[in-house]
Amino acid sequence: MSGHDDSALDRLPSGIAGFDLILNGGFLKGGLYIVQGPPGSGKTILGNQICFNHVRGSGRALYVTLLAEYHARMMQHLSIMSFFDSSKIPDQLAYLNGLGELHANGLPGLLGLLRREITKRGASVLVIDGVVAARRAADDERAFNAFVQELQAVAIATDCTVFMLTSAQGTRITPEHTMVDGIIELVDQLSGWVAESGLQVVKFRGSSVLRGRHAFKITNDGIIVHPRIEALLARPSRPDPGSAARVQSGVDQLDIMLDGGLPESSTTMVMGPSGTGKTTLGLQFLTKCSVSEPGLLFGFYETPPRLNAKIAAVCQPLGSLIDSGAVEVLWQPPTDDLLDAYGGRLLRAIHRRKVRRLFIDGLGAFLQAAGSEPSRIGNFLTALMNEMRVLGVTTLYTLEGPDLMGPTTRIPIGDLSSLAENLLMLRFVELRSRLYRLLSILKVRDSQFDASLHEYATTSQGLVIDATSDSAERIMSGYARQSEGVAPPDRQPRERRGR
Amino acid sequence: MGTVLVVDDEFGIADLIDAILVDEGHRVVIAVNGRQGLEVLAKEHPDLVFLDYMMPVMDGATMLRAMGEDASLQSIPVVLMSSIPEATLAERCMGYVSFLRKPFKVTDVTALAARLIGKNPASTS
Repeated sequence: MSGHDDSALDRLPSGIAGFDLILNGGFLKGGLYIVQGPPGSGKTILGNQICFNHVRGSGRALYVTLLAEYHARMMQHLSIMSFFDSSKIPDQLAYLNGLGELHANGLPGLLGLLRREITKRGASVLVIDGVVAARRAADDERAFNAFVQELQAVAIATDCTVFMLTSAQGTRITPEHTMVDGIIELVDQLSGWVAESGLQVVKFRGSSVLRGRHAFKITNDGIIVHPRIEALLARPSRPDPGSAARVQSGVDQLDIMLDGGLPESSTTMVMGPSGTGKTTLGLQFLTKCSVSEPGLLFGFYETPPRLNAKIAAVCQPLGSLIDSGAVEVLWQPPTDDLLDAYGGRLLRAIHRRKVRRLFIDGLGAFLQAAGSEPSRIGNFLTALMNEMRVLGVTTLYTLEGPDLMGPTTRIPIGDLSSLAENLLMLRFVELRSRLYRLLSILKVRDSQFDASLHEYATTSQGLVIDATSDSAERIMSGYARQSEGVAPPDRQPRERRGR
Repeated sequence: MGTVLVVDDEFGIADLIDAILVDEGHRVVIAVNGRQGLEVLAKEHPDLVFLDYMMPVMDGATMLRAMGEDASLQSIPVVLMSSIPEATLAERCMGYVSFLRKPFKVTDVTALAARLIGKNPASTS
C-alpha cells in the first residue's frame, strides 16, 4: 500500500518575497511552469533571479537559451542586479545554448540534452529561455505536445523544477497550457504616460494562490512583486479582539469630547483643508507612544526636515520619542511607488516593531498611487484598515479636502463608513477678515461623543481646543449673519490663537 | 594562413569568429561542444582552437584536459573563451594559452589569430 507522497507538495521558493506570498510559499518542486509575456516584460530577469536565488545556498541550476541573445550580453545586463553572483557560475549555475542541438537533432535531441545536463549537473532548477524556438522546430503540434509531456516526465523523475519562458501570451489556449503545472503571465501596459507591469498566476496546480493581477517593478534588486493588498488581506490575519478600551488622543480636550479617548484599535480619519492642523493633531497622537506602545508615522508630504521643524515648533515631546525609538518616521514621496508597494511597506513596518499607534499623514497619496485604478482604493483601504484593527493598531490618518473654507465640505473618497470608524473634521471659518479654526466630531465607533463644534488654536503646545462650544457658537452664528449681510460679533483675539 | 577550430554552443558566436577569420584568409571548422571538438581533432590538426568554457555534453575544461592527455594535440594553442572572468576558470582549466572574455571585439579575434597561428610550429602558414 502506497502512502501519501508529501514530497509532491515540497516547495521551491522563487526567492522573491512578494511572489512567494502570491504562490503560497513557492512553486511545487518537480513542476513544469510556463512564464509568458511580451518582449521586455521581465521574463529573462525573472528566470535568472529564480536561478540565482536557488543557488544562493547549495542548490544547482541550469539556464538553457534557445535564443539569439548571447550569454555574455545577458550577463552584462544582469551584472548590475544585486542578485547576480558570478562566483556561482559555472559550478552551481551553468548557462548553455540548446539551439545547436535543436537545429541538429530536433526536439528529441534537445530533450536528451536537457535530461543529460540536469542529471550530470545535479540541477534542481532548469530555465528554458525562448521556448518559442522549440515550438517552431516542432514538425506539428503533436510533436511539441510530446516534447512538453516528456519534459514534464523528466522534471518529475529528476525532481527538477522547470520554467519555460515564452513570449506567447494572450487568451489563446495552447495544448501546452493544459499540460503544465502552472502558468505565470507578465504584462506590460501603458496607463497614460506611465508603464505599469503586472503579474498574474493564470494557472497553478496543487495549491491555492492569490488570484488576479499583482504589480511588480524591475529594479536593480531584480523583480520586486507587490501582492495586491486586497487579495493578501482578503481575510484579516486573525480574529478581531473587539476591544472596548480607550486610548488617549494626545489632546486632553479631545479625549473629553470623545468620552474618554479614541476606541482602541480603531481607525480615525481627520479631514480638513490644508493648514488646519491635521498633521499637528497626528503628531500629538504619537506623543502617547512609549517603548511598550510603539508608534509609526507613515508620511508622504512633509519631508523629514520639514517634519522635524514642525515637531520643534508645535510638538516638542515627540522629538525625544523619535530619538528613543518609541516612534519611527517613515517618509516617502507620494509619486515614488505603487499603491501595493506603499501598503506592503506599511505592513512590514507595523509587524517589524509591533506598532500600536499608527499615524498616516496624507491618505491622498494612496489615492494618487492608485493611478489608473481609482476604483481599487476603497477595497484597498478597507482591507488595510481591517488588518490594522485585528493587529491592535490604533490608526489615525489625515485626508485633505478640496474646500479651504465655507459651509460645505467635499470628501475626495467614497464609502467613508468602511474606511474610518471615527471621523474628525477640522475647518476654517472666515469672519471679519479673520480665520478661525473649528473642530467637530462626526462619528465615533459605538460611543457617545460631544457633537458640538469647538474652536481650537494651534500653539507651541499643539492643538488647544476650547473646553466649551461657546466661541464656536458665536463664530458660526456670526458667520451665518454675515452671510445674510449682518455684522459679526466683536471678538478679541486671544494669545494662544494662531501662529 | 591556418586552420582554426571554433568550439562553442552559441551559434552566433561561432559563426562570427568563422566570418572574421575567413576574411583574414583562414579556414575554420566549427563544433558545438567539447565532444564534437575532439571528434574534429581526431581528423584535423588545426593551428589554433577557440574554445568556449560552458557548453552542453562536454565543457571546455574537459576538452582541454583530453587535449593535454593526447601528445599529438598538446602543441595546438587554445584560446579559452567565456563570459565569466578568467580568474573563476583559471584553476580548473589547464593548458590554454590565452583567454578571450565575451563579449569580445573583432580586433581581439584577429589579433589573437595573428599572434598564435604564427607561433604554432604546426602551422601551415
